[in-house]
Amino acid sequence: MATISLRNVCLDYPLYGAYDFSLKRRLLGHLIREKGEMRIIRAVDNVTIEAEAGARIGLAGPNGSGKSTLLRLIAGVYPPSSGRVAISGNVVPLLGLNAGVNLDFIAEDNIALLLRISGRKPTRAVIDEIWAFTELEERMQRLPLRMFSSGMLMRVLFATATAFPADILLLDEWLSVVDEHFAEKAEQRLQNLVSQAAIVIIASHDQPLLRRTCTSIINLDHGRIASAVAVEPPSPLSFELREKRA
Amino acid sequence: MHHTSSPPRRPSVLHIFKIYYPDLFGGTLTVIRDICASLKDAFASSVLTCSRSADRREIIVNDVPVERVRSFGNVMSLPAAPAYPWRLWQKIAEHDLLALHAPFPLADLVFALGFGRNRPLVVHWHADIVTHAGLRWFIEPLMRRTLRRAKAIIVSDRVLVDETPLLREFEDKCHVVPFGIDTSVYDWPKIEPHHVNDRGRLVLACGRLVPYKGYDVLIRAAVNRKFEVWIIGEGAERPRLEQLISELGLGDRVRLLGSVNDCERIKLMCLADVFVMPSITNAETFGLSQLEAMAAGRPVVNTALDTAVPRVARHGMEAITVPPGDAEKLGEAIDALISDPERRRRMGLSARTRAVSRYSAIAFREGMESVYRAAITAPSNEAAPIAEAPRPTGWLDSLRIAAALAWSDMRHRYVRSLLGPFWMSLQMAIVVAVLGSVIGQMSNADMMSRLPMLALSMTAWTFLNSVVLDATTALQNSASLIRDRALPPVIFLLQCTFRQGLFALHNACVPLLLWLLLTPHDLSGALAALPGLSLFVICTFGLSLVLGALATRYRDLKPIIESTLMLAFLASPVIWSSDIINHRSTVMRLNPLTHLFAVWREPLVGGHVDAASIIYVLVALALLLCASVLTLVHLRKAAFWI
Repeated sequence: MATISLRNVCLDYPLYGAYDFSLKRRLLGHLIREKGEMRIIRAVDNVTIEAEAGARIGLAGPNGSGKSTLLRLIAGVYPPSSGRVAISGNVVPLLGLNAGVNLDFIAEDNIALLLRISGRKPTRAVIDEIWAFTELEERMQRLPLRMFSSGMLMRVLFATATAFPADILLLDEWLSVVDEHFAEKAEQRLQNLVSQAAIVIIASHDQPLLRRTCTSIINLDHGRIASAVAVEPPSPLSFELREKRA
Repeated sequence: MHHTSSPPRRPSVLHIFKIYYPDLFGGTLTVIRDICASLKDAFASSVLTCSRSADRREIIVNDVPVERVRSFGNVMSLPAAPAYPWRLWQKIAEHDLLALHAPFPLADLVFALGFGRNRPLVVHWHADIVTHAGLRWFIEPLMRRTLRRAKAIIVSDRVLVDETPLLREFEDKCHVVPFGIDTSVYDWPKIEPHHVNDRGRLVLACGRLVPYKGYDVLIRAAVNRKFEVWIIGEGAERPRLEQLISELGLGDRVRLLGSVNDCERIKLMCLADVFVMPSITNAETFGLSQLEAMAAGRPVVNTALDTAVPRVARHGMEAITVPPGDAEKLGEAIDALISDPERRRRMGLSARTRAVSRYSAIAFREGMESVYRAAITAPSNEAAPIAEAPRPTGWLDSLRIAAALAWSDMRHRYVRSLLGPFWMSLQMAIVVAVLGSVIGQMSNADMMSRLPMLALSMTAWTFLNSVVLDATTALQNSASLIRDRALPPVIFLLQCTFRQGLFALHNACVPLLLWLLLTPHDLSGALAALPGLSLFVICTFGLSLVLGALATRYRDLKPIIESTLMLAFLASPVIWSSDIINHRSTVMRLNPLTHLFAVWREPLVGGHVDAASIIYVLVALALLLCASVLTLVHLRKAAFWI
C-alpha cells in the first residue's frame, strides 16, 4: 500500500560558496580560528503532509518556494534535517526530463539505458511501443540525440519516462516545450498515468493543469505551507466535453 | 526418482535457523520443535542449523534429523559459519518446502541471490532486528528480497505486521497463527502453591539470560521488597547478573536456577505465585514462557512493548503491564499481586482460560498445516509481473544499474570507431614497447622476458589510475541522475570501477599477446594470482569510493590527487621491479602500492608472496573498508555537494 507521511519535516540546505568547497581553506580556517560559518537556508520548513493511496497533490508557489526541493526530499535525494519521513511504495521521480541522457548516443540506446535505470528490461517491443508514442520517423531511432530538436527530444524523453505505471509519481514542471498537438496527447497520457498511480504529487505553475489533475493543492511560500485547498471534482459536463474531444 | 514406497510420501520441510537443540533452550526453539512434533503426521521435518561444537554433524533431536554446520563463534549475534550458505543451497533441492525462521541474514543471503527459486518458501517472522540496528541498511534489502519470494509469512500476532514497516509491505502474504501450547501438561490439581511454599511470595521468570530479557530490571525491582525471585535459564549475561545480585545484597532472595528440564520447569510454573516477563526491547515478540505460565494458571507481570507481549496477557485481565525498563513500577506491580491473593487467583483463572481457549496447540497445528499445504500446492511460477516492482534502492539493483551504465559507456566507444577501446590498447602497446627498450638500455637483464609483466603492470596501473581519476568527477557528471532520478550516488562510483574494468580487459590483450609470443607457457601461477588480483580490484574500488566522495565535497582535492597518483606511479614498482634496483628502498617498502602489486605479481611469476605484503594489504583493506563505510554514510548528503 502506498503512503507518504511527512511530519514536521525541515530541510536546511547548505549553500556552498567557492570557499566552502576548499579543503585547504577549511584546514587553514581551523588553524587561524576563523569562524567557519556555513550559510544555510531553510528550504523546507515544518511541512506536514499525509497522503494515502488515491491522493493527487498539486504543489504551487513562486520560484524558489521549495517545490522542487520538497519533491526531492520525498524522492530521497536529500535527507531531512529534522522531522520524520516515512514512505512506502515504489517512488518514481520524474523531476527533470533530461536526466541521464547522453546526447552522443543514438535514441534507441538512450531509451534502453533510461529503462534500465528505472529497473525495467528494455525489450524490442517496449522500445517500439515508446517510439510509436513519439510519432517520430522510424529511422530516427538510429540517430544520436544531438541531432534532435528540443521538442523532438522532449517527445522521446516524455514517452520513455511515462512508459510504465508507478505507485508514487513525483512530477516537476512538465510539458513546456512540446508543440500543441503533442502537448494534448501527453496530457492525456499523464492523466492516464496519474489515474493508475496510487499517489501523485505535481509541482507546477500551471494552475488549470493542477486543478484538472489534483484533489488538493498546496501553496508553498518560503518552504512553508501557506495554504492547502481541496479541489472539488470537475463538473460532469466538462468531463463529457473532454471525452468527446478525445 | 525411484519413490515407489507404497504409503503416500509425506512432503518434507526443511527448517532453517541459526541455532537448535541441544546447544540452547529458548522460546523460538520451542516453537520450531513444536512445529516439527505436531506436524509429524503430515510433514517430514528436518533442521539445518549452525553449531559451535566440533563433534557429530548429523544428530537426531526428538525424532527430527538435524544437520549442524560448523560455526566459529558469534559475530554480532550471528553464527560465523561460512559453509552454511553452501550447505543450504545443496539441501534446498532435497525438500518440498523451506521454512525460514527469521531473522537469519545468513540464509537471506542465499535466497537474495536467487537460489532455491523453484522451492516454495515460508517465512516464520519471530522478531525484527533490534540489537544490531546499525546493520539494517545492509540486511534489510536482503530480507526484503527473501520476503518478496516467500509464499507466506507467518507471524504470531497481528500487531507485528502493523508495527514492522518491512512486513507492512507484504501485508497480503502475512498469516497470523498464534503460538499454541499443550495445556494438559500443566494440570497439576494436587499442587496448590501453599502446599509447597506457604510464604506466598515466589516470583518466577524464565528465558535465556540475554540483555533484552531485562532481568537486571527484575533484580533491581527486588530491592527493598519482600518477594523471592527465581530465574530459570542460562546465557552470556550470567556473570553480570550474579555480580548485580551480590552488589545489591539480594543473594538470599534472588536465585539464578540455570537450565531446567521441561518437567521441572512445569512444576516450578505451577508453584510460583507470580510470573514476570520483564523484557525491555521489541526483540521479545510473543513471550512463549508467559503463555506457559498462563497455562499453569499464574498471573503475569509483563511490559508494554510494541509486540504481542502485552496482547497475549492483557493488562488488568491476565496481567499487569508496566513500562519496559522501569524497575520501580515493576516492583510495585509484583507487590500489588503478592499482597492480594484473591486478585492473583482471579487473574490466574482467566489466564488459564485464555491459554486453553485462545492459544491451544490444536489451533496452532491446524493453522501451520494449512499455511504449509497452501504454500506447497500454490503454483510456483515466479514471474508475477506485479510483484517484481522495481526498487532502485537495493544494493543489488545499484550494482545492476552501475553495470548497465558501464556497459553502455563501453559500447559507446565502438560507435564511431571500428577499434573502439582497442585504440587505448594500441597506445598501451606503444608505451610498453618504448618503455621496454629504454629500460633494456638501462639494465643488462633480459628485457624480452620481462615485457609481458611490464605490460600487465601497466594495465593494472592504468586501471587503478583511471578508476580513481574518474571517481573524482563521477558525481558531478551524473548530477542530474542523482538529483532528478534519485539514484544513490554510490552507483556512479561503482560505474567507474566497472567501466575501467571493461577497458582493462581490452588492454589485457597486450600482455596476453606478449606472453603468448615471448615466454614459455606456464599457467600454474595464474590461478594463484586470482585472490591477490581480486584484493587489488577491491582496494581500488574502496580507494575510488573514498577519494571520489572527498573530491566532490572538496574540489581542491582533485589536483592533489592527480599529482599524488603521478608520484605514486614513479615510486611504485610498475615500470621497474625491485630487482632492477638492487636494494629495497624504505620508500618502496612503505608504499602500500608495492605490496598491492606484489600480492598478485609474485604468484604469477611462480614466487611466494611475502607474509608482510599480505598483512600490509589486509590492513590497508581494513582501513579502506572503515573509510568506505564512513563515506557511504556521508554520501547521503552528496546531493548537496553537486
